[in-house]
Amino acid sequence: MLANKLSHNIKTISFFVTILILAIVPIIVKSPYYLDLIIVTIVYAVMAMTFIILLKTGLVSLGLAVFWGLGAYTSAILVMKLGLSFWIGLPAGAIVAGLFAFVLSPFLLKSGGITFLLLNAVLGLLFIVIIGNSTFLGMYTGINNIPEVDPIKLPFLPVIEFVSKIPYYYLGLILLIVIVLVVSAFNATKIGKAWTAIGLKPRLAESIGINVYRYRMYAFVLASAIAGLIGAFWAHYEGFIQPNGFNMWMTNYFQLYAILGGIGHGIAGPLLGAAIMKFFPEMIRFTQQLGNIITGVLLILLILFLPRGILSLFDKKRKFGEGFIFIRNWAKSSFTINRKEVKK
Amino acid sequence: MTSQNGEAVLEIKELTKEFGGVQAVNALSFKVFKNEILGIIGPNGAGKTTVINMVSGFSPSTHGNIIFENNNITKLKAHQIASLGIGRNFQSSFLFMDLTVIENVYLAFHLNYKSKIWAQLLRLPSVRQEENELKRKAEVILEEMGLSSIKNEITRNLPHGYQRMLGVCIALATQPKLLLLDEPMTGMNQNEIQIMLSLVKGIREKGITIVMIEHNMSAVLQLCDRLIVLNHGQKIAEGIPQEIISNKFVIEAYLGKE
Repeated sequence: MLANKLSHNIKTISFFVTILILAIVPIIVKSPYYLDLIIVTIVYAVMAMTFIILLKTGLVSLGLAVFWGLGAYTSAILVMKLGLSFWIGLPAGAIVAGLFAFVLSPFLLKSGGITFLLLNAVLGLLFIVIIGNSTFLGMYTGINNIPEVDPIKLPFLPVIEFVSKIPYYYLGLILLIVIVLVVSAFNATKIGKAWTAIGLKPRLAESIGINVYRYRMYAFVLASAIAGLIGAFWAHYEGFIQPNGFNMWMTNYFQLYAILGGIGHGIAGPLLGAAIMKFFPEMIRFTQQLGNIITGVLLILLILFLPRGILSLFDKKRKFGEGFIFIRNWAKSSFTINRKEVKK
Repeated sequence: MTSQNGEAVLEIKELTKEFGGVQAVNALSFKVFKNEILGIIGPNGAGKTTVINMVSGFSPSTHGNIIFENNNITKLKAHQIASLGIGRNFQSSFLFMDLTVIENVYLAFHLNYKSKIWAQLLRLPSVRQEENELKRKAEVILEEMGLSSIKNEITRNLPHGYQRMLGVCIALATQPKLLLLDEPMTGMNQNEIQIMLSLVKGIREKGITIVMIEHNMSAVLQLCDRLIVLNHGQKIAEGIPQEIISNKFVIEAYLGKE
């Protein structure tokens, strides 16, 4: 009990310390180039978090980027065609993506596992083809000149204009914090506990009265709404979106970030994974073409020796070299996820 | 001992299950009375587990009806049946292996939450109180089942006998009115069987009706008020244990014809 309380306090303290460090980043990092990398890292990490939300309930999606794109297009269209403010486009992106997931749930989730994975992949292809052929949505060339975020006018304070990277950084950071708080709040509820049970043993979960379909739908809608929210931010930050920017490769990258960081750590894992994959190639840029090969080899080694991600180094129980067994089991069971990997 | 004139908790009518052309269970009918322990016995492949899977909603029946407390539950899903008050364990050790013993039981309290989801999201004090209450309840269940000394062990590392008991604890956490036990004593040593016997008796004393599949005949004879014997998916005998063991058809089914 005491140990529990202590670890809870440590978590709270480390959460606030992390926020404090992140809050002073723009004071230390002056270069807009590096600030841009950090903002992109935040967006990608959030997307990797949506992968883990779904994985926790035993679902693997190949269409994460679709809901990211839905949020981006929703906000861009609302702001550019209807002249609404970004501050409406942002929540609208989340709502549209969440609603879309809700409507699709009966088709995607009823038969579970592999159907969900493949139908999401199909969804990803449809998304690109439909938008690519719609003049209203800008065809394959996409939408240019998406306006910047509307200035924030608060009483007694100077107007915050989104002209440099710094306000974008803070907006992204606030969104990240809100998302982290919402996800942790959900994890602490009955819903979060049902997710854990479903991820570990769906049949046992059913036998204790958990409606597997319904709780998977909650996870799907939540993950999609989060993707939509960060997608809306992304559209206005980049100022330019095209359907191919939301293809399956992006989904694969998000999955990679989560796996690299550690899928047992729903928040820190994606952040670490995305940060490494964004900054490491920059650090070895001097190697020129060799850079991709070095990154690739390192990734393979990391996944072989640390299949539960870098953060699993700090887990209490860990077997060395379990990667080979993990890969072999994974290949054997092809698409059934190794549920051992999903900790609560 | 419960008389057969009592109120039927569960009634099974003409229940049939076909796998392809094979009839695993064939037009099976029986009643389970309030607060009794009904044993289902029979040779391997007689269709005993299939019956439990059909009653608990894990395997849809081909024909027939299952009536639980005057509700027809034949077409309901497994989670709906669990919420009506039918708990079950599984034949193999089917547990949340990577969690601790107490976490296993705590997770199984899914149906017990009273507070609204928004209150849980905001972590109101009443919600924390409810969670502590449930944690305490989980400890009570473990204590009654004699597992409190190992409550913080990881389930995977437990000996087989303890895992079987934990399976029953998880089923109990759903607060069932009817408990379906699928071979609770398989693979246990004599000592563990004695413990399990007294535990099952204890569960019945709490007012829970029990339907039990078991191979260990001495345990069955000690525990069960009535027995049903299945062979090739059909009921070949029903009655009190003393009658059953002298029944000619039962002896034939187990030992073969002379």
